[in-house]
Amino acid sequence: MILFALLLIPFSYLMLGLLIKKSGIKQRLALLFATVNFLWALALVPIVQFREIIVVQMGSWAAPYGISLVADRFSVLMLVVAAFVFFLTTIYATQSVDKARRKNGHFFFSFGILMGVNGSFMAGDLFNLYVWFEVMLMSSFILVSLGGERQQLEGSIKYLILNLISSLFFVAGIGLLYGKLGSLNLADLSQKMASATDNLAVLNPALILIFVGFSIKGALFPFFFWLPASYHTPPPAVTALFAGLLTKVGIYSLVRFYTLFLYYDHGFWNEVVLWMGGLSMVIGVIAASSQYDFRKILSFHIISQVGYVVIALGFFTVAGLTAALFFLVHNMLAKTNAFLVAGWVHRERGTLNLKVLGDMFNKSPVWGILFFISAFSLAGLPPLSGFFGKYLVLKAGIEADQIFITLVALFVGLFTLFSMVKIWMEVFWKRQPEDIAQPAPINLKPANWMLFSSVVMALAIVGMGLWAAPIVDYCQLAAEDLLTPSKYIDYVLGYH
Amino acid sequence: MNNIILEKIARLFLRVIAVMSVLLLLRGHNSPGGGFIGGIVLATGFIYYGIIFGSDRIQSIIYFNTRIWMGIGLGLVLVAAVIPVFVGQAPLTGLWYIGEWPLVGTMHIGTPLLFDTGIFVGVTGLILSVIITIMEVLKWNT
Repeated sequence: MILFALLLIPFSYLMLGLLIKKSGIKQRLALLFATVNFLWALALVPIVQFREIIVVQMGSWAAPYGISLVADRFSVLMLVVAAFVFFLTTIYATQSVDKARRKNGHFFFSFGILMGVNGSFMAGDLFNLYVWFEVMLMSSFILVSLGGERQQLEGSIKYLILNLISSLFFVAGIGLLYGKLGSLNLADLSQKMASATDNLAVLNPALILIFVGFSIKGALFPFFFWLPASYHTPPPAVTALFAGLLTKVGIYSLVRFYTLFLYYDHGFWNEVVLWMGGLSMVIGVIAASSQYDFRKILSFHIISQVGYVVIALGFFTVAGLTAALFFLVHNMLAKTNAFLVAGWVHRERGTLNLKVLGDMFNKSPVWGILFFISAFSLAGLPPLSGFFGKYLVLKAGIEADQIFITLVALFVGLFTLFSMVKIWMEVFWKRQPEDIAQPAPINLKPANWMLFSSVVMALAIVGMGLWAAPIVDYCQLAAEDLLTPSKYIDYVLGYH
Repeated sequence: MNNIILEKIARLFLRVIAVMSVLLLLRGHNSPGGGFIGGIVLATGFIYYGIIFGSDRIQSIIYFNTRIWMGIGLGLVLVAAVIPVFVGQAPLTGLWYIGEWPLVGTMHIGTPLLFDTGIFVGVTGLILSVIITIMEVLKWNT
C-alpha cells in the first residue's frame, strides 16, 4: 500500500477532476494533492533506508506472474525529487498559466503526467513500464497542445510522432524479449539472462530496440530532435514540468535497464553508452550556443546534461553511478528552476528572444539572482549543486581510466558556462535595445507564488551544494544496490 | 430526419445492445467479455441512436454529463482497488463473497466485478464524450 498510494493520489485527483466542475476548487485540490504526494514520497526515504527495497505485489499474485511495484533507493530518490518538482511547478502554474488553460484541464493533465512518472519509477515489470510511459506521453501531449496556438500545434505534432515511434520500438523490443525469455518481470528477466550468458547475442535485437526507445525518451544523441522542436512552444510552467520530469524518466529507465540487463554484455554496450553520452554532451552544448531563444538554449542544454548522466553510467563503477544519480537530481532541480525564471521573463515581456530582451536585472534583482543560482549551478560553479555533480562525474571518470571522455566533459562544462553567461548578459545585464520594437507587456498581476516556488527551488539547489555529503552518501548506497542486481532479484522474487 | 422505420429500429437496437453489453460485463471474469468490451458495445448502441436522433437525445438519456460518468467509472475502479487494503491484502486483490441467492442459486460476487463495472462506465462515458463532442462540432442535432 505504501507504494500503491503514489499511484492512488494522482488517480484520485483525476477522478475528482472529472466529477468537480468549479475550477477554483480543482486548483486548490491540485495544490493539496501535490503536497500530499510530496510528503508521501518523502516518508518513503526512512522506510527504504530501513527495508532497502520495498516490493508490493499487485493483486497478491506472486512475482514473475503478477505485476510488482518495486522501489529501491534509486527509485525513492527519483520519486522524491519528482514529487518536489511537481509540487513547486503546481504552485507556480497557479499564477503563470493563463485562466483558460487552467480551466480546461492544465492541472488534470499534469496529474496524468505525475501518475505516469510515479508509475515508471516504481514499475517492476517491463510491460507495466511501457504502460506508464504511455500514460505520461498522452498527458504530456495534451499539455503541449493545450491552448491550440499555431506554434504549439506544430511543436506537439513533432513531439507526438517521434515519441510514438519511440513507443513502437519499445513495445516491439518487449515483444521480442518476451518471445525469447518468456517473462516480463524485470527481476525474472535479469535472472534468466544471467543463466544464459553464452548466447546473449540472440537477445540483442530486442535489447537494441528497447535501448533506442529509452534513448528517444531520454533525448540522447542521435534521437533528441523532438525535444528542442517542442519544448519552447507550450506555456513556461509546462516546459518547466517537462524539463524536470520527462526526459529523466527515460534516463531512469536506461540506468535501470543497464544495471539489470545490458551489463551482462558489458563489452558491447559500454562503448555504445559512452559514445552516445559523449556525443549528446557535445552536440547539445554546441547546438545550444547557436540559439537565440531563452528556452531553446535551455532545451538544448537538457540534451547535453543528460549526456553527463549517461557517461557516468558508462563508467559503471560505484563512484560513476553515484555521480550519475547525484547529477540527475541536480539537473532536475536546476533545469526546472531555469525554466521557472524563463516563465517570469516571458510573463513580464511577452517574448523570450534574447535580442529583444535586456535590463531584466534592474527590473527585479531577486529574479536575476534566482537565475544566477540555477544557471551557474548548471555551469558547475561552487558551492552550488552542479559543482559537486560535475566534480563527482569527472573524478569517477578519471578513476575509471576514461580520460578522453572526462576531458570532453570538462570542455562541455566550459561551453555550458558560455551559454549561461550569454543568457545572463543578454537577458539580465545588457541595456534594453532601443531600436527594436518592444512587444507590450501582457500581464502585470503580482507573481508572488511564482517567486515563492522559484525561491524554494533555488534554496534546494544551494542546499544541495552546501550539504552535499548526506546526499552523496545516499546516492552511493543506491549505486551499490544498483551494481548488485542479485539483491534486486532476491527481493522482488521473494527469495529474501 | 423523419424516417419512422429507422427510428423504431434505433430504439429497439439501443435496448438490445444495452442488455447485451450488461451480459458481456457479467460473464467477463471467466469467459470472453468484460467491462471494456461491454462498454464499447453499449457505446455503439448509443452512437447508432445518436446518428438517428442527434446528440441531444443521447445526452438526455444518459442524464449526467459524460465527464461525470467517466468520474464515476474511475471512482468505482478506485474503490475496487482499495477495498482489499482494508482487509490486509495487497491492493487490487480479488475478494469474493460466495452466497446463495434466490432465483439464481450460488453466485460469486467480488471486487473484480466492481472493477469491471467501473471500466464499463468509464469506457462508455469516454466514447460518448468523444462522439458527442464530434457531433456538436458537426452540428448533428437537427
